[in-house]
Amino acid sequence: MGIALEYKKIKRTGIIPGCLAGGFLAALIPVLELAVRSEQYTGLMQPPLRTIFQADWQMMSMLNMLIVITAACMMYHTEYADNAIQRIITLPMREEAVYFLKALLLSGMCLGFLAMEMLSVSVCILHWFGGEGGAFSAYYGASFPEAYLELIQDLLWNLGYCFCMLLPVVFLSLLIASACKNMWISLGVDVVCVFMATMIPVKYFALAIFPFALPFQISEGAGTGQTAGFLAAGIIEVLVIGAAEILFLRVRRSLA
Amino acid sequence: MNFLSLLAVEWKKLRRSRILLILGTATVMLWIPSVLNADLNFGMQAEGISPEHNFLIQGFMGMAWFMFPASMVVGTVLLAQTERTNHGILRMLALPISAGKLCLAKYMILLGLAAIQVLMMTGMYYISAAIASQMQDYEFLLPPLFVLAQAGKLYVSSLPMIAFFWMLSVCIQTPIFSVGIGLASIVPSVLMINTKAWFLYPMDYPFYVITAEYGKLASNLSEAEIELLPWIVAAAAFTGICLAVSCMCFGRNERK
Repeated sequence: MGIALEYKKIKRTGIIPGCLAGGFLAALIPVLELAVRSEQYTGLMQPPLRTIFQADWQMMSMLNMLIVITAACMMYHTEYADNAIQRIITLPMREEAVYFLKALLLSGMCLGFLAMEMLSVSVCILHWFGGEGGAFSAYYGASFPEAYLELIQDLLWNLGYCFCMLLPVVFLSLLIASACKNMWISLGVDVVCVFMATMIPVKYFALAIFPFALPFQISEGAGTGQTAGFLAAGIIEVLVIGAAEILFLRVRRSLA
Repeated sequence: MNFLSLLAVEWKKLRRSRILLILGTATVMLWIPSVLNADLNFGMQAEGISPEHNFLIQGFMGMAWFMFPASMVVGTVLLAQTERTNHGILRMLALPISAGKLCLAKYMILLGLAAIQVLMMTGMYYISAAIASQMQDYEFLLPPLFVLAQAGKLYVSSLPMIAFFWMLSVCIQTPIFSVGIGLASIVPSVLMINTKAWFLYPMDYPFYVITAEYGKLASNLSEAEIELLPWIVAAAAFTGICLAVSCMCFGRNERK
């Protein structure tokens, strides 16, 4: 019982190759963008990470979200498809444990594809911004190990930040998936939520913390206060959604 | 069984799916921000587009770029999954009906869902335009023939895209890949409409058509004329191939 079991359940559903393929696609975006229109970006004298994030993160985070919602729907679909969930419910374990284990597994996969994307971003930086007098040396300095260490530090910080912004989507989409027996309903609700998030104007903080709008946030170029605010919002949302799931499962069980 | 009664049977299967609720919610969500931000339409004089046209086209663009294609992916999930659970599809395949006919009937149902969503969107447009007119003291309503013509163009141009999504869901048995590829293929359409080879990528047709309409209505923007010749051929070929492949693949996995 535990995460190994959850992993076994999804082994043959193709979720993991799907996540990897999606992450690969998202990682291709900055490479393609820079390969086609590099002259538009390489001249910019700002941190190269910021250039790439501002140009491409919108699309990359959209892809990330689509991966997460599809994976979440599938994870519960395997339970509901042949009424396997009824057997799970009768086991001597808490029903919400399944939810949290799935969330843990899905967040692990998120870390995986986010790491792929950061790797591609770093390759882009070194290839297109790393030349003589490029933005890389202008911003990080030319000294050999320090400049690279600083870049790695920046990348890790961004990886962590993007991961925290994606976590509420993981939890909420799993909550929706666990609530609906039919996959198309949960997928439909998720898709509507993503669509709403794309239309939210960024200037209102209260609207921008809508869980599906959080992944669009980037820490590059944002103030420390704003970054901290979004991080706090993300963590609070995860806690609230987790509590809501526990409550929901209890209520559903007592009514069933 | 003739084709019409087959259609009626397929339609009946969707009765309790609540898909119309999801499609309807999506259209409501589409217009809420437009109504709330209706005053922004007056700031678009620089492009030379009148506020009422801008109101309509911005809404339609939001629909064409993400919500409409994504709803169709959800529709394919619905059509595929309602019959795969509890092996309803086996009974359908055991009937003396050709599998290709069955497949086409389901595609028609999907087209019906698309038509319903486009009509819902048009209906919601009139409601929200009326509300916006009241709020802003400005006439946002456009003549029905014009609006329906736009909606019709959006609908007709989406047929190849829907055929592609249908082929995905028929040919790829693991839902995560059919849904994942479908949703992921929507995202690059923003890039594709700006290239010369836009007519080779069916997922961007609706968005391209609406963007071209925007160019036509805005006198100060460069007019993107739709060249019908390579497009119609490519679209017809694409639709034909997708439908042929899906008809051939339909039920193949179940018959093994």
